[in-house]
Amino acid sequence: MPDTEKSVFKVFIRGSIDAVWREITKTDTVQKCMFGMRLHTPGLKPGAPIRMRSPNGKITAIVGEVLEFDPPHRYAHTFRFTNLDDPPCKVTYELKEVTGGVEFTLIQEEMARGAKTTKQMNQGAPLIVKTLKSVVETGRVPFGMRLLCFIFKIMAPFAKKKQRSESWPL
Amino acid sequence: MLPDDMDAVFQALAHRDRRRILDLVRNNAGCCVENLCRHFDVSRIAVLKHLRVLARAQLIHSEKVGRRRNLYFNAVPIQLIYDRWATDYSALWASKMADIKYRIEQAAQRAKRKRHA
Repeated sequence: MPDTEKSVFKVFIRGSIDAVWREITKTDTVQKCMFGMRLHTPGLKPGAPIRMRSPNGKITAIVGEVLEFDPPHRYAHTFRFTNLDDPPCKVTYELKEVTGGVEFTLIQEEMARGAKTTKQMNQGAPLIVKTLKSVVETGRVPFGMRLLCFIFKIMAPFAKKKQRSESWPL
Repeated sequence: MLPDDMDAVFQALAHRDRRRILDLVRNNAGCCVENLCRHFDVSRIAVLKHLRVLARAQLIHSEKVGRRRNLYFNAVPIQLIYDRWATDYSALWASKMADIKYRIEQAAQRAKRKRHA
């Protein structure tokens, strides 16, 4: 048995491929499907760093590096939670145009077996995928995601020191 | 989720062997068709046919790596069906009721094993 895990989450979204692509790559506003965090990067291209920060920019929850960037079909990056010491894993988004919409696939791999990161990623992924579907199709953010965004907001003052954005400059 | 998509998921889940395939793939992410066939008496063709039904419902994601085809379980369609019927509030209580059921059943099973021991 390999010591890393891989999981796949797939959904059909009734909408344009550009709308789906924008939701996961936009930097001008928060990304509702990514727990209301905002993507900070000097420019999405292979090798560039990425940071997922709180709306006010003070906290950095996720850091990574772009591995592949092929709009509007494929985007892959490394992924690490700043509050955990697990090794980085790999996240890939695949968009495929099909009749009537887009087939969206989220692939999470190279996750250390049994690690906390792995557990959190597998718990979070279904919510990311269904929020993306809902936001593109109806503009609405599901209750579960709204609740989590709210919890993150009130928990922000209790973030660990290593989650502060000063520790993760671009 | 449109009615047609939902039909595909329910149809896929309405067969014991297909549910067993989902269990096997979920517990062994990235396994291949040959791994699955070992668990079934039916022909390889029959297993492939089941896999096609599961893939059409998006319950199985398959990736081609060289000559091998790796299989992954995709839980999202089941999540969407759950969301379709469980409202934000009923979900909380329904999950508590389910917890009670699982706990009582587990306790009953433990008691049964103890009696037999």
